[in-house]
This record gives sequence, structure tokens and C-alpha cells, in this order.
Amino acid sequence: MTAMHRIVVDAMGGDHAPDEIVQGAAEASLALTSAEIILVGDAAVLGRLLPNLRHDGARVRVHHAPTFIEMDEKPAEALAAKPDASIAIAADLVARGDGDALVSAGNTGASVLACARRWTLLQGVRRAALAAVYPTELRRGEKDDPFSLILDVGATIDATADDLVGFAVMGSAYAKLVSQNRRPRVALLSNGTEAGKGPPSVVAAHAALVETTELNFIGNIEGLDIPRGVADVVVTSGFVGNVVLKMLEGVSETVVRLARYAHKERLAWRLGLIALSSAIDQLKSITDWQQYGGAPLLGFTHPFIKAHGRSNARAVANAIKVAHKALAGNLCGNIARTMAELDERAARRPRSTGDTTGEPAGS
Amino acid sequence: MKPRSLLGRLTTLASLPGRIGQRIGLFDHTPDGLPPGAAPPRHTFRWDLDKTYLRTEFDSLADLAKNAIENAADKQAYPGATALLRALRQDGHRICIVSGSPTQMRQVLAAKLALDGVDYDEFVLKNNLKNLLRGRFRSLRAQIPYKLPAMLQSRIGAAADAETLFGDDAEADAIIYCLYADLVAGRVSLQDLERVLVASRAYDDDALRILDLARRVPRHDAVNRLFIHLDRRSAPVGFRHYGPRLVPVFNYFQAALVLYSDRVLSARQVIFVALEMLDSKQFELGHLATSVQDVIRRGRVTRETALQLTAEAHDAARSGALSGRSDLPPFEQIAEAFRARVRELGPIDPYRFEAMAPLDYVRLVDEEHEHRRVRRRRGDP
Repeated sequence: MTAMHRIVVDAMGGDHAPDEIVQGAAEASLALTSAEIILVGDAAVLGRLLPNLRHDGARVRVHHAPTFIEMDEKPAEALAAKPDASIAIAADLVARGDGDALVSAGNTGASVLACARRWTLLQGVRRAALAAVYPTELRRGEKDDPFSLILDVGATIDATADDLVGFAVMGSAYAKLVSQNRRPRVALLSNGTEAGKGPPSVVAAHAALVETTELNFIGNIEGLDIPRGVADVVVTSGFVGNVVLKMLEGVSETVVRLARYAHKERLAWRLGLIALSSAIDQLKSITDWQQYGGAPLLGFTHPFIKAHGRSNARAVANAIKVAHKALAGNLCGNIARTMAELDERAARRPRSTGDTTGEPAGS
Repeated sequence: MKPRSLLGRLTTLASLPGRIGQRIGLFDHTPDGLPPGAAPPRHTFRWDLDKTYLRTEFDSLADLAKNAIENAADKQAYPGATALLRALRQDGHRICIVSGSPTQMRQVLAAKLALDGVDYDEFVLKNNLKNLLRGRFRSLRAQIPYKLPAMLQSRIGAAADAETLFGDDAEADAIIYCLYADLVAGRVSLQDLERVLVASRAYDDDALRILDLARRVPRHDAVNRLFIHLDRRSAPVGFRHYGPRLVPVFNYFQAALVLYSDRVLSARQVIFVALEMLDSKQFELGHLATSVQDVIRRGRVTRETALQLTAEAHDAARSGALSGRSDLPPFEQIAEAFRARVRELGPIDPYRFEAMAPLDYVRLVDEEHEHRRVRRRRGDP
């Protein structure tokens, strides 16, 4: 029997919690024979839901948590007011070794904060990074994965050159494992492809990453290269990453709204859309975020997979599978090993200061 | 080897056509019942084989072919099932096996049970060759017109005070077992039984035979526990309307827990079931602890019973039940893991069963047929 991985799931977090979360966990219990799923939440509610679903009763257990944090609550205040909230207890379980990984579709800020307060960073990692996936034109890896990884998208605001290098290592390790991409192309997000472009931290990170042999660093990319899929892992600071991600989401929503407008406005446009409908459906299925499950918070000694707030059962089941894959593939161990190798090399030669002055934006 | 007498040889020779007939499925093997003058059994345990005791796939033609050619050593019992059967047998209980497998499989199945060290009193298989030769194609799949008379016949031959039945969620075991339980308890009239047999599309002569057996079977509310092994991982709620006597179980540790709660098994015997499951490498201690939590949540075992079992198991462990098991942590550690699983549930009340209305078997049979049709249409196993 392979090693048993205990995946803790915040059963009360998410727009469709707890029903869809419990259903996703039930599905995952049937698919993952070497996993134990720990549902954290109101035991009475969860105990009523589970018997209605096909699942493996020896592989799904319930851990009672009397309260939970709503999606729109302020993270720090909510965690202070509800120390027995499901996400806090779930993060605690992992911190004290009663679980190996965490999955939540709940309040992102509260989830990240709960982990950050309880978990320890991997040796050599200075800052954790929250990653997100974005569908792109090009595909990658053995799985023909249409999603690229962007990190950090908001675990912290600023990032030094060392932090960006750390993000690159973590993103690359994750893409290798989850997308089965042997040498993921890693790029820094900047305002130009030249090495000297961007703020000092980006320029210094570029200089450091060029030296690495562990990563397949392809240099800088610009914003327009993200949807093209030029890079498999896009590295940036949390502030920029969050702005970019929200903008990309906004653009997608606007395109859908424009299509709806066109559908209503003219018969010819409507006919055109109908003619394209099967292609659009195919595109939707290729870029269906629910198949991806969730995005990771990287840098801690345990994996945390943040599923989308709107996650349904399928997305939750996939997020649990991603957490299982991260554990089975020793994601955290791989990150720690690469970070140690980079540290060792850096110690052998003089380091760049990271305060290089970059060229002005838009030049 | 002792030389056999001429009379012995002649007897063996005379029984040869019968044995060949049984082997190829031309004649039925009728259970012997109790020897003359023997005391009636205290407790009879009736077991299905496929998907209940044996891990069997018969959802495709390839699976059927594989089953047919598989030898006894290749067949796999579910973890814990063998230890449970042995424990029941050691306590002197009667073991009767009624399986839907064809009579041609008798030798290999009997060899498998012998390999596992499982002793039994009755072993009934389905004579599908006879059904085929008589053009009774409905009987090939039908379970109620086959299993119900087999169980009634067995009870007429040896009526125990108590009976416990083991089946699975692959076919209509829950319906058949409940119908049998209610029949022997006198809760189902012969008129109602006739309607059920019509709904289950039994051939007329089979129906007449079943009605005759039902008329003759000793009446007593004997069947107090029915286990359904959730081989398909069916949702347990689908069995709730059968009432608290029917317990869907995900594994045989759960069945052992319920039997401990029913005072049929001792803590030591529960430990042996658990050890067999751990030895199978398909279960870890964590799975067993989670299985306890599951049956408590579903209201099948109380917290108090689980904690009492832990205490009694501690005594059993001290008296050597775990001797030679250096692969396991100290028992106090195991016990604490089990207690922690119970505590994890917090202050919730266990599920309480509402008063059960009499089962409408005609509707249940119709629904089962419909489910089967839907599954077949969807291509589900």
C-alpha cells in the first residue's frame, strides 16, 4: 500500500458550501484510494450530507468546527472573532501533524492568513506565494495543459529579487508536478522583454535567474504574452499579479457580455454566434477552470490548494486530487531542495544587490 | 492409506452419476438440514458470496469469463470477511451460504473456502444450466425466485432462534433479505407474497413452490440483523427505509462493530477482524478509526459502545490478542487514536431512526427493476 495522504478540507468555505464541498470530497474518496479526507465543519450538517452520497466511509471523516467565516468577512477580524472557524481548525490540524495538505474554496484572505499564522515556511523560502491559473493559447506538458501559472497573485504586496527567484522555483516545481511539464518555461513579468527593463527587483531577479540551471528561465515577458501562453510560469509581485489577474478576468467577462449583446442585437450576428457555438463550447471545455480544481499557496511545509469560491463538486474533487498529487510528488520537498541548491550556489559567489535601477516603464 | 471396503467402493460408484450431474449442473444440490435428533442451531448466519465475501466482478462478459476460469487461489476475499466467518463458526454458529454463482463453480468456490479455512453447513448455488435447458431465461438473472426459496428451505431444515444475513448492494439482496425476515416473522401474508412474486416475474411453478415453503416455514421473529456490504459504494441513505435492522457497511470492521454491539462478537474477535484487514495492506489503523466514526455518525453504534469496545479491546490486547504484532504501535496509542476519532465528532446527536412503516415489497421490486433498466441503459456496471 502506498503512503496514506491526509487531506483536510474546509467543508464550510465557498459559495456552494457545504453541499458541493461534501459532494466533491465524496467523489474524491472514491477516486483516491491512498488518501484520507478530513471534512472540517459543522459535524451535524456534514453527518447529514455524507450518507446521501456515494463515498468510502473508511476514507472520509468529519472534524467538528462550530463556526465558519463568510466569503465577504474581513480576514483578520473574522479570524480573531472566530478562532473555532472551520478554516482555522483545518489549518491547525495540518500544523499539528494531523493532516498533510489543506483545500479550501472559502474566503481567500482568511484562508491564506490562517495558514500563514500557523504553518512554517520551507527552508530557504522567505515569502509564500499564491498562484492562479489562466487559460492560454499554447498548451504545455504531457497533459496538454492549457493553463499557465501566475504567481504571486496576492499573498503579499511587494516582492524583493530574492522573493521573485523563490516564486520562480516554487512555480516551476508545481508546474512540473501538476502539468507533468518536464521543463516548464519560467518568465518574469515586466514592461519589456529586455533584461534591463522593469523595477530594480525585477532586474536583479532576472540577473539571478539567468544564472540558474535548475530552471528553464526564458527571460522577461510582457502582459500580452500571458494569454498567448509564451511562459508556463509567470512570476511577479503580489500587487502586480493581483491587478493582472483581475484585469484578465474582467476582459473575459467583457467578451462574454459583448457576445450576449451581439446575440440580442442583430439576426446576422446571432446566426454567426450559433454557427460558432460548437467551437465556443469546445473552447469553454478546454479552458474550464473547474477541471483544474484550484491554485496553490506555495512556500509552506504543507501544500494548500485554494479552490475557486464558486467551486462545484467537480472542482472541489479536482482540487483534492491536486493536493493529493502535490503530496504524492513531494512538491514541498522538491521546492526545499531546489531552494537549498540555489542558496548553496549563491553562497559560493558574490551576490547582486538587487537595487539596480531599471529603465523607465513604457520606454 | 486405509484400503476401502467393497461396500464403500460400490456406494461411491453408485453416487457417481449424481455427483457428475451436480457438478455439471443437471441436478440440484439440496441442503441436508440437521441430522436426526440434533439440537436446533442458536444462531444462523446466511452469507452471499460474490461481492459479499468474494471480491468478484461480473459486470462485463470479460469479467464473467475471468471468473469462470479463475482458480481458487486467485479468488480474493474482502479483508476481514474470513476472520469474521471463522469467529462466527468458532462460536458454534450455523453458516449457510446462498450464492447466485452457477453450480458449475461449486468445486472452485468450495476450494477457495477451504483455502481460507472457512467451514460451513450449507452451500447453495444457482442451477443456471437447468434454467437454460428449460428455456427459463428470466430465471437466469432473477434473484428473488432463486434466493428466497433457498433460504426458506434451509430454515425449514434447521430453524434457529436468531438469524443474521450478509449481502451486498449489487443486486436485490436488501429486498430479498427483508422479505425473508418479514415472512418468517409472519409480517408478510401469503397474499402479499404472491403479489411480490408476480412483480418479480417468477415462473408459476416456482411461485407455487415458494408459497408452499412460506406456508411451512417455522414462524419466529428470528432475523434481527441484516448487513449490506457496500461494494458499489452506494449511498447509505438508500437503505434507510429498510429500518435500523439493516446496516449498510463499507467494510467488515464495521460489521464486526455492530455484531459486538449486538453482543454476538467479543472484543477479541473484533481485534482479529481488524488485524486481518490491516494484514491485507488495504487498510491502515486510520481507516479503521474512521470506520468507527462513520457507524457512530449513522446511528448504527453508540459512542458508549465504541468506547466500551476500546476498553475491552485493551484487556484483550493485554491478554495476548496482539502478541507478536511488532508492526503495530502500542495498544494505548491505538486506543487513543480511536477515542480521538469519536471526540472529533463534537457534541452532535447521532442519527435517530423514525418508526418504520411496513415495507411495500411490490413497489420495491418495481423500483429495483427500473434501477436495473436505467443502469443498463447508461452502461453502468
